Amino acid sequence: MAGLADITLIQAADMVASGNATSLELLHACWANLDAVNPQVNAIIWQEREQAEAAANAADEAVQNKQRRGPLHGVPMAHKDMYYQAGKLSTCGSALRKDFRPSVTATVIQRMADAGAYTFAGLNMAEFAQNPTGHNKTFGDCHNPWNLPYITGGSSSGSGASVAARFNYMALGSDTGGSIRLPASACGVTGLKPTQTRVSRYGVMPLSFSHDNVGPLARTARDCARVLTVIAGHDPLDPTSSHEPVPRYESFIDGDLRGVRIGVPTNVFLDGADEPVVAAMEAALLVLTGRGATVSRFELPLMDAVAAYGGIVSRVEAAPIHAEWMRSDPQAYGAHISARMYPGYAIPAAYYVEALSRRGPVLKAFAAEVFGKVDVLVTPTIRTCLPTLEETDIDHGPPGTEHKFMAISANTRPFNYLGLPAISTPCGFDPNGCPIGLQIVGRPFAEGRILKVAGAYQSDTNWHWTRPPVLAAVA
Amino acid sequence: MGVFETSVEATIARWFGIKPPNKPAKRLTTELAATIKAFEALRGTLAFEDEPSSFEAALLATKEDA
Repeated sequence: MAGLADITLIQAADMVASGNATSLELLHACWANLDAVNPQVNAIIWQEREQAEAAANAADEAVQNKQRRGPLHGVPMAHKDMYYQAGKLSTCGSALRKDFRPSVTATVIQRMADAGAYTFAGLNMAEFAQNPTGHNKTFGDCHNPWNLPYITGGSSSGSGASVAARFNYMALGSDTGGSIRLPASACGVTGLKPTQTRVSRYGVMPLSFSHDNVGPLARTARDCARVLTVIAGHDPLDPTSSHEPVPRYESFIDGDLRGVRIGVPTNVFLDGADEPVVAAMEAALLVLTGRGATVSRFELPLMDAVAAYGGIVSRVEAAPIHAEWMRSDPQAYGAHISARMYPGYAIPAAYYVEALSRRGPVLKAFAAEVFGKVDVLVTPTIRTCLPTLEETDIDHGPPGTEHKFMAISANTRPFNYLGLPAISTPCGFDPNGCPIGLQIVGRPFAEGRILKVAGAYQSDTNWHWTRPPVLAAVA
Repeated sequence: MGVFETSVEATIARWFGIKPPNKPAKRLTTELAATIKAFEALRGTLAFEDEPSSFEAALLATKEDA
């Protein structure tokens, strides 16, 4: 039965603001789902209920006193457990940090708090944000609310699963090779990876500082737009964050796609794609053209360079961060985590410098050729039907399991090296009842454009509203 | 184990003091050969540049106009 936890983040904020619901009621509605379903899904790894109720009561009292703090006022949230809050647990999904309590608070957490939101839990994630599946040796695997033996996508596994299972209205994820878009796709929610530099990474666990991004997973594109407006913008604590002005992203979502040119890559992104996934993408393109967009199909340039260079950057940047633990306590990592990091130590520095120094020229050449023809690119977020946790378990599976594992992020990784903004929106279900995602990619700082396209699509479809079967028994 | 894998493991041990943590790590070491091939394939395809290019500048140069 649908209830208060099924509404969108914006509806939740509006209801609190108008007095039609209290923040405490929202919180308890989320907890009803959490208590019933988290034992199966395993999206939440710690909670602070007393503090959350106190925050909810304070938010409700502020509304009564006409002291609403901002556009997220009274909305309970839970985030991937790598966003630091001073003095609070932040496990980064690892036994190596199971008791870690940072002394700083992430800028994005602070900005959402300043906008009136509060946090009640830490979400499961891949160890150190390093897998696309949701496996976790320390806290247990995260399970897909749509079909429990299947992967949630990762590395923001708990973010995708918790929003899908109505434990919260929105969760932050991080995206270094697809880790926002993949769980959004696999769990049937909307996930936005902003342009590189658009959002501060201060107080966020690093993985690959050239490719790391912070962004929201939520029910709708409009919800993501609201969150991005709150968290984007320059942060003196993160000198790499952009000074570009931050628009009010919700204003882009007007349903009008007339004049919007969509490109569909004919190379790479559909290689080995499963038929239900291709069919879902083609059906989505019909919806978008019905709103006035035009579609052209062509080969994307420079994909070999993007793949080669992007792989180098991610592997090399992760290596020194973990070198001490890889020497002193390598068995504390899941085998698939340490195994994938290990070769990174052998990559020559000259390769890394070449990969970084080519990044700007490759982006310029790519953008000139592609965005001269179209405004956005559309691909499946994941090109195959979802695999199970067992099928992608490198730690216990046979040799070759890693190929199925790596195929999951094949369509998302290129846009991290290119630094482009991308969003995943639900666009159907595969034969196993698992969601399929549509990836929409824009040029740098075109978050408004891709939100506009995703928002228009969601105006004509209901995939993002569908409840996962795991909630069927919840009153 | 082949000469290539032995050489990679020796390099990592010498430069970082890190040993292969498990069998999948040994398997994935062999994939560095594909990395080298991918870089070989890119040789000669990109022009020499006199100045290092800033990625942040490229983001701004290619951004969506307001």
